[in-house]
Amino acid sequence: MPNINLKIIIAEPSAIIRGGLELQLKRMVGFRCQIVEVSGFDSLPESLRINRPDVLIVNPDMIGGVALATLKEESGSHSMKCIALVYSLFEHVRMRAYDEQINIYDSVDEIRHKLERLNTEELVRTEEAEEQQMLSTREKEIVVCVVKGMTNREIAESLFLSTHTVITHRRNIARKLQIHSASGLTIYAIVNKLVELSDIKVEKDG
Amino acid sequence: MYKKGNYRETDKMSDLICENYPMLLVMSRFGIALGFGEKSIGEVCRQNNVDSCTFLNVVNFLSDDHSTTIPKVSTCLSLESLITYLHNSHDYFLKFRLPHIRAKLLEAISNSTDDVTFVIRRFFDEYAEEVNKHMLYEEKTVFPYVRSLLSGEKNKKYNISIFMKRHDQIELKITELKNILIKYYPGATNNMLNSVLFDIFSTEEDLASHNRIEDSLFIPAILELEKTLS
Repeated sequence: MPNINLKIIIAEPSAIIRGGLELQLKRMVGFRCQIVEVSGFDSLPESLRINRPDVLIVNPDMIGGVALATLKEESGSHSMKCIALVYSLFEHVRMRAYDEQINIYDSVDEIRHKLERLNTEELVRTEEAEEQQMLSTREKEIVVCVVKGMTNREIAESLFLSTHTVITHRRNIARKLQIHSASGLTIYAIVNKLVELSDIKVEKDG
Repeated sequence: MYKKGNYRETDKMSDLICENYPMLLVMSRFGIALGFGEKSIGEVCRQNNVDSCTFLNVVNFLSDDHSTTIPKVSTCLSLESLITYLHNSHDYFLKFRLPHIRAKLLEAISNSTDDVTFVIRRFFDEYAEEVNKHMLYEEKTVFPYVRSLLSGEKNKKYNISIFMKRHDQIELKITELKNILIKYYPGATNNMLNSVLFDIFSTEEDLASHNRIEDSLFIPAILELEKTLS
């Protein structure tokens, strides 16, 4: 399963708890977390605006009576998930507004399950993407053309496609393989025996 | 795990290096040699005519975690000293690190077929050329500009925001090479290739932190300087 990228703000006054949670999140398999620490309520709105996190993990005591909706407004992203970081019991009513709770006694696995549950949509999307990571026959043809040094227009003409379609294919290829340069694609094409070196060299001389 | 940030002049230089070994590179780029015994960071800097404030700024910036907010430009930071550091980093990448990786990489893949070695070598050479161009621009355009600012000259044609706009991440393409080798390299397990991959991983990080110093210490300091002159 591919990693899920998450941008997380941890808003918690205690440096020890913040640091501890940050370390656990960074070590967590299956996630690639980019973490911003916020130590006081004063700097939270600005940090939300600048960072636009996917997840806000916040100590409910720190934000006091401020409604989560206001914070979501601030971050400009209504899809931001809010997780309460709790040391002790809170009234049920106060917890209802949160998408999830992390207790400081939770095990790392429990935290991981909670994050996975919150990001199921993301998970489905990345799984779909992974299934499609193999190149289609058409995409392979295009790789061969790119590697031979053909322009988008030349590729379009030889494969009877519109240049627009060629560009879309190239974007998909780059996304699937995580290879963005023509010389990188050349390595891919040679190793996977899509082309022979002589095909490329001829092109270069001609 | 490395210790986090906030070293002071009175801390021992040897502690800094042992706790945070990438700082070895920082130290030598400031022109400080090994063999400093029990001396403190401040003492070692003074002996080597290195501005200790700039040294500590770079060290603390790099050893602090990536995710925390950008530090405020320290008023004692010496741009001249920072330029020396950046220039030496450029030399290190262009004259030592990249040629070294190239030689090792070619040796590691020497058992492959001719076409595989050809395309990998070509990829690497194109990459090295890109890095060369990127750094040469800084050497030929940005550093002279900053030096002229430092001597009090204003320049109507150039300002640092031009550099900010075109300053791209130079580690992306070496990341690509690393990924290609990891995912697609054909051939038996190979100690030399693993060793090159370790080198590439660390160079990737090194280039990224080099860029972060330019973006988060160097450029803000120049922006301040431009303000005082305008």
